[in-house]
Amino acid sequence: MWNGLLDIVNKRQIPLSDKSEKNTETSVENRFISCIFCVFRFRPAVVSSCIRELVREQLGGESYDSERSAETAQTLSKRITDRLKELGLDRYKLVVQVVIGEQRGEGVQMASRCFWDADTDSCAKDVYMNDSLFCVAAVFGIYHY
Amino acid sequence: MILTTETLESNKRFERSCYLNLLPLFFIQVAFNPDEASNAVKECIEGVIGGVDYSQNKVNQWTATIVEHSLTQLVKQGKPFKYIVNCAVMQKSGAGLHTANSCYWDTTTDGSCTVRWENRTMYCVVSVFAVAITL
Repeated sequence: MWNGLLDIVNKRQIPLSDKSEKNTETSVENRFISCIFCVFRFRPAVVSSCIRELVREQLGGESYDSERSAETAQTLSKRITDRLKELGLDRYKLVVQVVIGEQRGEGVQMASRCFWDADTDSCAKDVYMNDSLFCVAAVFGIYHY
Repeated sequence: MILTTETLESNKRFERSCYLNLLPLFFIQVAFNPDEASNAVKECIEGVIGGVDYSQNKVNQWTATIVEHSLTQLVKQGKPFKYIVNCAVMQKSGAGLHTANSCYWDTTTDGSCTVRWENRTMYCVVSVFAVAITL
């Protein structure tokens, strides 16, 4: 099946067998899309390691400061977006959320739910903590059909 | 792909009828309405944690309920969007919290809204991101 799809991608002509004629009603475009995203898929492990590196680079050894941390969160989210654009996720729309909070022993709980296409869309996250602050960075990738 | 001429024409008829049925959906591309979304989310938050104090045992359940209810209300609006709903509940202790987000999307159709809510003992920040489905 995958060999057939790769032939479609390479625009080669292939003869149809009797079995595949039953699938002629399925649009070619959908199969084309399925083949493409299996190659350039949003891989959570790769994205997670990328944001982990960026977060530790930016926040390693820093302490929480109410004036600076707002700007740090914005800069970090922008840097993560720029770095992810270089990863070759051309067909993906990206949403990056960074939360930086002060460590004072308070309780914090974060949850997220998504209504999307589970075959194509995914998320990656990383949590960083030191003595004075904690940082949660979450990246959501939505495939653009 | 080599197809016989008969099957080619029947495919075209099928595809045309599909496009005609979905034509209104293609051309009526609505932009995200943050006010409507934030009203729906505020109601969900009030319904779950309005009038209660922070409790370490229950906060897990609260955040899950808030995101689920918010997502259900947003989907019920019936708009062609994919949604991401994020909720953070923090105990009031004088500590600071900063949230930032950066999005790489189509600004004409996609959008976000953030709802901040607080009571005597806790803060609740819910972010909704809506990405348009274009076919």
